[in-house]
Amino acid sequence: MATQVHPDHEFDVQDLMINMGPQHPSTHGVFRMVLVVDGEIVRDVVPYIGYMHRGGEKLAETMDYRQGIGWMDRTEYLAQFNAELSYVMAVEALAELQVPDRAQWIRMILCELNRILSHFMFTGAFGTDVGVFGTAFTYSFREREVIQDLFEEITGDRMMYAYFRPGGLAWEVPDNFVPRVREVLKSVRQGIKDMNGLLTDNEVFRARTVGVGAISAADATDWGCTGPVLRSTGVPLDLRRTEPYLKYDEIDFDVITGTTGDVFERFTCRIGEMWESIRIVEQCLERLEPGPIMPDRMPRMLRTPPGEIYMRTEAPRGEYGIYLVSKGGNRPHRLKIRSSCFANLQALRDMTIGSYVADAVVILGSLDIVLGEVDR
Amino acid sequence: MNNELFGKDINVWIDAFIRVNIITIMMTVVVMGLIYLERKAIARFQMRLGPTRTGPMGLLQSVADALKLVAKEDVRPRNADPWIFELAPYFVFVPVFLMFVAIPFAVSWEVRVLDLGLFYVLAVSSVNIVGWVMAGWGSDNRYAMLGALRAAAQSISYELPLVLSMIAIAMVANSLNLSEIVAGQGRIPNIILQPLPFVIFYIAMLAELNRTPFDIPVGESEMVGGPYVEYSGIRWSFFFLAEYASLFILALLASAVFLGGWAWPLGEDWGRWWQFILTGVKAGAMIFSVFWVRSTLPRLRIDQLMTFSWKVLLPLSFIQIMVNGAILVYEPEKEVGQTLLGVTSVFGVFFLAWIINRSVTRPRPRPVVAARGEAVP
Amino acid sequence: MKGLLKSMGVTLSAFTRKPVTREYPETHKQLPERDRAFPILLWDHGMNEPFCTGCHACERACPVECMTVLMKDNPNHKSQGGESSRRKIIDKFWIDYGRCMRCNICVEVCNFDAIAMNNTWQGHEKSVYDRSDLVQELPQLLAVHRSGELKPWVVP
Repeated sequence: MATQVHPDHEFDVQDLMINMGPQHPSTHGVFRMVLVVDGEIVRDVVPYIGYMHRGGEKLAETMDYRQGIGWMDRTEYLAQFNAELSYVMAVEALAELQVPDRAQWIRMILCELNRILSHFMFTGAFGTDVGVFGTAFTYSFREREVIQDLFEEITGDRMMYAYFRPGGLAWEVPDNFVPRVREVLKSVRQGIKDMNGLLTDNEVFRARTVGVGAISAADATDWGCTGPVLRSTGVPLDLRRTEPYLKYDEIDFDVITGTTGDVFERFTCRIGEMWESIRIVEQCLERLEPGPIMPDRMPRMLRTPPGEIYMRTEAPRGEYGIYLVSKGGNRPHRLKIRSSCFANLQALRDMTIGSYVADAVVILGSLDIVLGEVDR
Repeated sequence: MNNELFGKDINVWIDAFIRVNIITIMMTVVVMGLIYLERKAIARFQMRLGPTRTGPMGLLQSVADALKLVAKEDVRPRNADPWIFELAPYFVFVPVFLMFVAIPFAVSWEVRVLDLGLFYVLAVSSVNIVGWVMAGWGSDNRYAMLGALRAAAQSISYELPLVLSMIAIAMVANSLNLSEIVAGQGRIPNIILQPLPFVIFYIAMLAELNRTPFDIPVGESEMVGGPYVEYSGIRWSFFFLAEYASLFILALLASAVFLGGWAWPLGEDWGRWWQFILTGVKAGAMIFSVFWVRSTLPRLRIDQLMTFSWKVLLPLSFIQIMVNGAILVYEPEKEVGQTLLGVTSVFGVFFLAWIINRSVTRPRPRPVVAARGEAVP
Repeated sequence: MKGLLKSMGVTLSAFTRKPVTREYPETHKQLPERDRAFPILLWDHGMNEPFCTGCHACERACPVECMTVLMKDNPNHKSQGGESSRRKIIDKFWIDYGRCMRCNICVEVCNFDAIAMNNTWQGHEKSVYDRSDLVQELPQLLAVHRSGELKPWVVP
């Protein structure tokens, strides 16, 4: 990336290149971008990824299906249940396992709660990007903590749950599961209200976000954006609705879409999705009935017939897909993760060019990238 | 050449030396207290506890921080310009302390009574921008450079509304001497007569202090600390000291000029200690509101910041000055004049609120989006 | 302007609420019984020996290969004049807590219920200055259950 001399300036001037990251407070991990700026205007963005590459896909190929679940947690470390779900559903589809109803309902509850958790993480980090001095962050972490406590009571771990298994769940949820989830939802509602009051109507927040980093629906589709980034442009693509998995076809919920596809719409889409997730969880809790959580006859070591499958689910950041090739045996021959963040991140350059340096940070924050998932 | 200090005649040089020492020591203590209070207040706004470890309720946290900063290694980047880099903290630090000279705390209780006190404070307060630009330039760091340029642009833009709002007050008070301005507010504080200049002063004060929503020069999430990104240890703490000292002084200035200082509502008859407490409570309320705003609001962008200053605050303060002039030139009766001043100024405040509302609700042009794959030339 | 005042109101209401901070080193959160810290070995209090027979099942199932197991003949076996019905017993057992990813698979594969995840705070507060100190020996692994601190939780 050489510096350019601009013909429209009176003097020979060179672009200033600013290196942001990999150690920068608002690159959400170890993302690096080089901004070519002219004054305060960003002329070009060169993103660099790969600082967090751990070879997760290759590692999962060396492990059997149960061991691989732990690695899925570590790729998408803010929406672990959703990542696990794609993986175990891919394995289930290959091995033709029938998942019991109760396990499916519990999976839905946990995935939706995890979506709320992940969106809380987004609102907090985004608030910090926009410049709130940590208040949004602490408010969202307060609610995230409540959800994490619930997950810890269920699965035993606060982040790396490793709770879903091909065929169902690792173990039964605690006896007080339903009242505890209702308790958590009550707290979460208050948290979303606080978030809304703090940011959504705030004039300064609106001034910073409305009209910033807009992308058209056609461009977003071409780049392969999914999730709230795509839905905010007005495309109602939600895998829960378009190709329902688990029990989403029996549940009543709305797909939140925006119109302009700017940063503000991405934010409000996520807030709306949190309310929808609460609705989904409440419906799931009513439908939850006692029953088995694993198929009757599970082999001690799961083996799949040869074949290949692409299984995708709607993770908080978009389509999280697992492409799995099996040649028989107890481990995948090839595993490929279709990362939603990676696809969304591609659109960063289009969105950022022509905006201000401060907007570059906001736009990056609005994409809600998880570097563990981008680099895998 | 003798001067009176604490009721004694002292040589003028010794007198000056003692006064400077009192200022420096007092300001350092006040700043440490302010840092502690800010951390506690913002923690409560965020439902945290704040410092709790050092001393009872974390009271010694600032002392511990100061000790740590003094003990830290003073790092200078190899490419930095040594003179500019090393001198910059003093250029930020000294003007702030100079401002302190003219601030009245109680009846005839200030470092020096200056007839042009208001003018002096405003003049000196704008000097420290030199230090910021020096820090940004000397650091040889692009973040620091951008931050310093932002600081310069912002400081110059917001200096004007600040000064103009003060001129409006000086017209009403008919003086530039801070003690006289305070004494003139015995019955009605200036905030009631002139709410619009107060609002303008408050906004410009936030900008001068680089506080949210105007903290773009330091902007942690984009400029990583701005001009002082390369500083460490004691030099960095000088910037911090200056920031909090100017917060304290501007709050005192606001309490003196707008809120009636020591005069309102007790008048001059009460004892000196009551006057101190009154000034302190008013300044404390100002400082608390700054903390509150800091913990709530996001940061503005550089263009919005400049637009707000040049297109909204500056014209409004000019209008206020002209209205004041039009009212005062006819020398109406006191009550009539005061009512007119207050009513016009309240109208101005509503106009400002309406402009802020409108700026958000009106449709804005879409930003420049580049053709795919090509940089905007 | 309304939005600004609204958000100021939100922060002011938070100012009056109780802080949610847990002052960690002084007050420990109540851990749920299925909390997963690090794997430890269980102690057969009736027979006064470990449950583990050193069958290598966990070692083979571990995704990150953090375990090393050595087996020996049980000196306390009935054939040796003792009381135990275990023919083989664990001789040496190392778990490298630095590598362990706490996935619970070793607990699931164990045929003798001899390994469990530590659900006490001891299991979480494992900071050391040297990575090699994270490799736990057999006595350290047995200590928590032997002293009776482990809260009982059996995977259903």
